[in-house]
Amino acid sequence: MSYADFRLDGLEESVPEPVQRIAWFVFEWIPLAILVGVWELMSGTVVPSVVLPSPFEVGAAVWELLVTGDVLPHLQISLYRVGVGLALSIVVGVLLGVGMARSQPVENVFEVFLALIYPIPKAALVPLAILWLGVGTETAILIVFLACLLPIVLNSYNAAQDVDQNLIWSAQMMGMPSWKIPLKVVIPATFPSILTGIRQAIPIAFIALVSAELIASNEGVGFEILRYGEVGAYTLMFAVLVIISAAAFFAVRGYEWAERRLIRWT
Amino acid sequence: MDVGSATFDRSSLVSFAKGTVSLAVVLVLWEVVTQLGMIHYYFLPPLSDILFATDSSFVALTADGTLIYHGYLTVRRALVGLVIATVLGIAVGVLSARSKIMSWFWDPIIEVGYPVPVIALVPVFIFWFGTGDVSKIALVTLGCFWPVAINARNATREVDENLIWSARMMGTSDRELLRRVVVPAAAPGIISGLQIALPISLIITFVFEMVAGGGGLGHIEIQGVRSFDSVQVYASLIAIMILGFALDRALRILRHRLLAWT
Repeated sequence: MSYADFRLDGLEESVPEPVQRIAWFVFEWIPLAILVGVWELMSGTVVPSVVLPSPFEVGAAVWELLVTGDVLPHLQISLYRVGVGLALSIVVGVLLGVGMARSQPVENVFEVFLALIYPIPKAALVPLAILWLGVGTETAILIVFLACLLPIVLNSYNAAQDVDQNLIWSAQMMGMPSWKIPLKVVIPATFPSILTGIRQAIPIAFIALVSAELIASNEGVGFEILRYGEVGAYTLMFAVLVIISAAAFFAVRGYEWAERRLIRWT
Repeated sequence: MDVGSATFDRSSLVSFAKGTVSLAVVLVLWEVVTQLGMIHYYFLPPLSDILFATDSSFVALTADGTLIYHGYLTVRRALVGLVIATVLGIAVGVLSARSKIMSWFWDPIIEVGYPVPVIALVPVFIFWFGTGDVSKIALVTLGCFWPVAINARNATREVDENLIWSARMMGTSDRELLRRVVVPAAAPGIISGLQIALPISLIITFVFEMVAGGGGLGHIEIQGVRSFDSVQVYASLIAIMILGFALDRALRILRHRLLAWT
């Protein structure tokens, strides 16, 4: 639905474009302002300000955490875990997806295992990861990797199966050795779907990260939220929550922006 | 590879058989290698120990009712939350697709609310509502609300305007229109949202149980880690796998039933 329905006739001509854009931006985000306003009004009146610190206090705490740098080492390690886990799942997932789509033996071997881990919510594998790797970074990376694997495998598998057979025949006819075909023809042709798979995997990666850090970590953003909650520093707990949410939000937005530029280029 | 497809033709039956062979090879290898003591018992106990040969094996824990009772606790939390989220999510989603004011109000909230990793709210909800069932169900509801609402909204926007015009012309009232035309036409998209929300409800329940206790399969599993009883960890994972599979199947069957008319 577009906001054109709200526009008044003739307004477009009389008001300069940048002003219009700012006005629409403000108009669109008023509901959030209302929400923050209700939050501010409720904090300290309906509910005690300890239970729900005012949005300005939380904002100040976010600023303080960032300026003093208290949260930065944790943010850094969390982003490292997400990054490595996601990167591993992209490499393994694309190879597995394309391999299974293009080769029957590969599919026969791996399909049953993917079908077995498919119904398990990956966060439930955290205790198993603790058995193998202990509490810490490796466990978080393993969980992020497993959680992101399936969407990437599924997307690249479906796309690799739909690759135009003519492309492959042409490549063969022009004398491309068969081991090069997956690398030079199939993966480039499945690229857009792989990008979609990664797009789906990013929010999943953050869910997996926080799950692992809440259960099995002594550092990282998820652990910080839990720790501040346990020592009763609730304003800081909300502040860290805002920071991780912002990180997840900008990860998705940044990726979408990069994807659009990449697609335009291909 | 459609992991969950229920149809088997001849060729997929053959590949299923081949897949079973590779699974069987791995399971036998698991048993042999662990019985020979080549892997530390704590990391990977023999399959037979996990399935039936010890006190905390899958069969033993099922027979004494532990897994069944805690599985019931988990399912109750996840499903109650999912059902509440479904009702609220469909209401908000459908209304914000049909009404400009609702859309103006909810779109930016959905935009900002959806990317929040709801699982990070576990400590907040422990603080607000304690560690009991209310707290768990509330967080499941919040986590499942977004995917249901977004899918309901997008599916409703796609509903063919001609259907609505025809119904209007035949004298359907506005309220009837939503119930008898819009929601059924948007049903496939709404159910897709439910299918996204189902694993989220389980993830939130498990993580909450692991962090806050209070019974449930997640609690049983993490208890296995804390008491260095790795057999119990594997046994509860088997239960979790069966549970996840059963719920996923149930939702697929429901989808099939509800959409049989399409």
